[in-house]
Amino acid sequence: MSQTRADFVIVGSKPLARLVAGLLASVHGKSVIFAGESQSAYRLPRGVDLSVAPITRPETWDMLKPLVAETLKLISRIGGRSARSRVDPILFAENEPGKIALSHIRQMALAFGHAAEPIGEQALGPGRDGIILRDAVLLHRASLETALDHWLKQHLVRRLGPAETLSIREDGSAELISGDERVEIGQSVLADDMALLEHVSAAQWPSLLRRQLTTTIFTEPTRTIAAPVMLQLDSGLTLVQQPNRGITAMGPGNMDAFAVRLGVLLGGRREFRQAGQSSYQIVVTSDAAPAVGRLGGVGADILAGFGPTGAFFAPAIARWLAGVASLSENGWFAARLVDRNSASAWVADVGAGI
Amino acid sequence: MKLRSARLGADTKHLLQGSVINRSQPLQFRLDGRVIPGFAGDTLLSAVLSAGIDTAGKRGGVNLALTTRHAPAIVPATTRDPSLALPMDRTPATDGADYVTLAHQLSRSPLARLLRRETNSLHLDLDRPDPLTRPWLGMAGTPGPDADLVVIGGGVAGMSAAVAGAKNGLRVMLIEATPQLGGHARLFGTMDGEETPDQSIIRLSNAVAASSKITVLTSAEAFALRPGMVRLHQVHLLNGACTGRVLDIPAPRSILATGAFERLPVFAGNRLPGVVGALEAFELAQNYGVWPGRTAIVATSSSPAYRLAMLAQDAGIEVKRIIDARPQPQSRFVEFAKAYGITQAAGTVVANAAPAAGEYGVAITPQLAMEGLSTVDAPIAADRLIACGGWQPDLTLWHMAGGEGRWSAATSRLEPGIAPAGIVLAGSAAGWFSRRACLDSGGDAVDCLLDKPRMPLQDQLIDPLYETPDGAAPIGDLPDDSGHPAYLDGGHGYLVRPRTLPSRWPSWLPFAPKPPSWSLDYTPQPLDIAEVAAGVQLGAIPPASAGIVAHERVAMVGIAAGDEPSSASGGAAPLLSPYLEGRYHGARLFVVAPTEQRVLNVGALIHADPDETDPLMAIGVVVRLTDGASIALVAGTEGQTASVREPGRAFTIQLVVLYEDGMNLAAALGRGASTP
Repeated sequence: MSQTRADFVIVGSKPLARLVAGLLASVHGKSVIFAGESQSAYRLPRGVDLSVAPITRPETWDMLKPLVAETLKLISRIGGRSARSRVDPILFAENEPGKIALSHIRQMALAFGHAAEPIGEQALGPGRDGIILRDAVLLHRASLETALDHWLKQHLVRRLGPAETLSIREDGSAELISGDERVEIGQSVLADDMALLEHVSAAQWPSLLRRQLTTTIFTEPTRTIAAPVMLQLDSGLTLVQQPNRGITAMGPGNMDAFAVRLGVLLGGRREFRQAGQSSYQIVVTSDAAPAVGRLGGVGADILAGFGPTGAFFAPAIARWLAGVASLSENGWFAARLVDRNSASAWVADVGAGI
Repeated sequence: MKLRSARLGADTKHLLQGSVINRSQPLQFRLDGRVIPGFAGDTLLSAVLSAGIDTAGKRGGVNLALTTRHAPAIVPATTRDPSLALPMDRTPATDGADYVTLAHQLSRSPLARLLRRETNSLHLDLDRPDPLTRPWLGMAGTPGPDADLVVIGGGVAGMSAAVAGAKNGLRVMLIEATPQLGGHARLFGTMDGEETPDQSIIRLSNAVAASSKITVLTSAEAFALRPGMVRLHQVHLLNGACTGRVLDIPAPRSILATGAFERLPVFAGNRLPGVVGALEAFELAQNYGVWPGRTAIVATSSSPAYRLAMLAQDAGIEVKRIIDARPQPQSRFVEFAKAYGITQAAGTVVANAAPAAGEYGVAITPQLAMEGLSTVDAPIAADRLIACGGWQPDLTLWHMAGGEGRWSAATSRLEPGIAPAGIVLAGSAAGWFSRRACLDSGGDAVDCLLDKPRMPLQDQLIDPLYETPDGAAPIGDLPDDSGHPAYLDGGHGYLVRPRTLPSRWPSWLPFAPKPPSWSLDYTPQPLDIAEVAAGVQLGAIPPASAGIVAHERVAMVGIAAGDEPSSASGGAAPLLSPYLEGRYHGARLFVVAPTEQRVLNVGALIHADPDETDPLMAIGVVVRLTDGASIALVAGTEGQTASVREPGRAFTIQLVVLYEDGMNLAAALGRGASTP
């Protein structure tokens, strides 16, 4: 049996996982194996990749601002114009805590130079407040995924094949067996929810992380909504309207309950017809802030709770994993380690307590 | 245009006389004002088709056939209430009834409206969204009788499962969509040593009727399934009138014996009036004696279509040709058809179809399509084209309940994967081909649900040397700009294969238009399982993704009861939300007041220095406006002034007093009224 070595295995299928894998290989000179599926063009989306999010922490806005520019430059080079589009998303809320959080988000966005305008009931319906964030960028997963796969190939990132097996050890190292070949991998990175759910045992499961049943519903073309991307703070519901007016809605809850909630939100029970739906588990952090770092301090690295902006953190995450992050990046990640005590975390973000 | 009756004669002995109609009991009813004759035992649809109406309406200017899977809902003409809508294929024809179609009619001139009563179309506008709406899909269910076991599908596998369940002491609810039990077994004939399909059906029907533990619901279509709950729509007679009801049947165990869809071969013109599937043609003829026209062509990739051709010939229909997509089909049915003198063409598909010259029928262009060979024959016309694209297990409810599927390259169809809790497949829905295996699978499904020891099942199939397995659904020419649409399936969806773009440049030139590439990923409509299967064959869905697509894109119907509580009931917000914790070292809550007439905004950042603009240098934030006062979280001291930066300019505030729960804010601000 031949034996080789690799520095990292990145497990995950979202753009964040692909970007981190590619950046580790292309920028930081690491040998990388990527273990993820390419189904974005066929599977219903389980999230959005957006350059803005409901963020209240100033240090996160501060970190994100240059990362968005850096990531967009990279994505434009890899995927061209078809991989992204400019949108003006709306964040909105119905309950009092959500509305207060919206005010904080708006002020924070303005303070960091991001245009954020209030919109009210006329656009959103009675009892709802919202803000519109101008000039955000939405990544198109389906087309981006193809381009990123090609990019990974260019940078000699090895792809885990269907006949190959990957075993992740408790110390974070891993082993890939491919026929007569054995690859010893220095460090594993579980870069999305599916990877965490598949590879983290119950004994290792961090107390910070919670599994949450989530549903995606894709509707037939329906009425135009107030913005092509809308995020409801108090329910965690996300709406994305396609150019053909079909809406992809994602949010917590089982399929039937979520369908009822969506019907209410879209202006009356069953004012839409479902064109597709899927229920699945996601991983959320109990304080709504991202979680990074090694399981138990010694295991696989995890990336969780980044929300819609996850892909835009990829350059910083790659630097951090490669050990070349800036002082401020190191500080940001150090405050968000997965073994933090969420009860007294000073990084809790919007979503926690709403 | 005078309509021709499509009812086969009963003068000579043949098997397509209509086993469920009583020709001695004629009746008539009205549909959209037209008088439709029929017989007792007819459904509305069989009577309408027998009257020579074979067209539902127009889509994109092209007529589309009226079929069992593509028929409008109807409502009583007196009320026109959509909540009373009924399906044409499950509603028995009753004398004197008066219905109107629920779908929108094509706009026509008054003269054309007068003349339309003599045309073969229902004149529906099929370009509208959801043109053949089925309102019962959105209705809440009323609680129905509960059962220990629900069996969906009253064919031989379903009846077998129901009988086995009853023998095991379970209270069984057997749900059948059509007006009678029996299923589709009759089309597929008999193998040596087997009982005939009729013998199986009669034996099982008698056993079902004799069991006090089995409740049968016919004309009842299960349209939503979750583990533990089935929702169905049933048509039943109430005081002599047909009415519909939506029932929720709670049951801890379900067996899906929903059979198999017949795939629609994909070629231009595959949904024109006159084009029909082999199973639908057989059942219309066998049950109701309905067979439009006097001539037919059969295009198939499956041997039972040959049997239908022979039965039709026995009934006086001239079968002009059987074309088979399989290169060298072998079957006892093939040999029998040769003995009948029916012309056969192997390795041939329908390249395209168009309306025949004259009033009725279709003209097809056969195309020899064997490896390395592609030759187009001269068009041939017939009153009817029987187009059979093989069989796809009906996994619709399976997917709705959370079951998984996967593409089988060997059979070119989706097959079941991991099962949802408490739900088991039986019969051809489970992938079985032979009637013996379908019968056995019913009992096996019950054993599986009851965790009893199971015997391995086996499909007893004739050696492929003598019985060629079904081929993949035939695929015709890529439709061009001038041809008719090529649909992926014949149901309520209207997905079409993209057309080639007209070009005056040879295709090898770099700037010539490329063949259309397409994907079904963001098609904003549910995908029937047959559409997914066609999508795989046409390269629009990778085989590895077919199971996911079929599972996620099934036409799901929600069955949650009641409205979700609004998220507006979120309660009061704490002054210090978790996302504010630790933001400003040593910060406390203060009642603050602007030194000028301003209203502060929640979230506004507070700086020690009015010239400071860096949000990271803020010392506090406004957290609440209440009773006309502002409360802020600030790292500061009582009486201190600070600056609030809002769009446009900064202004000064004072930290008036430390905030305490329950304090009199107006008094704290030194004023009697609570206005800022």
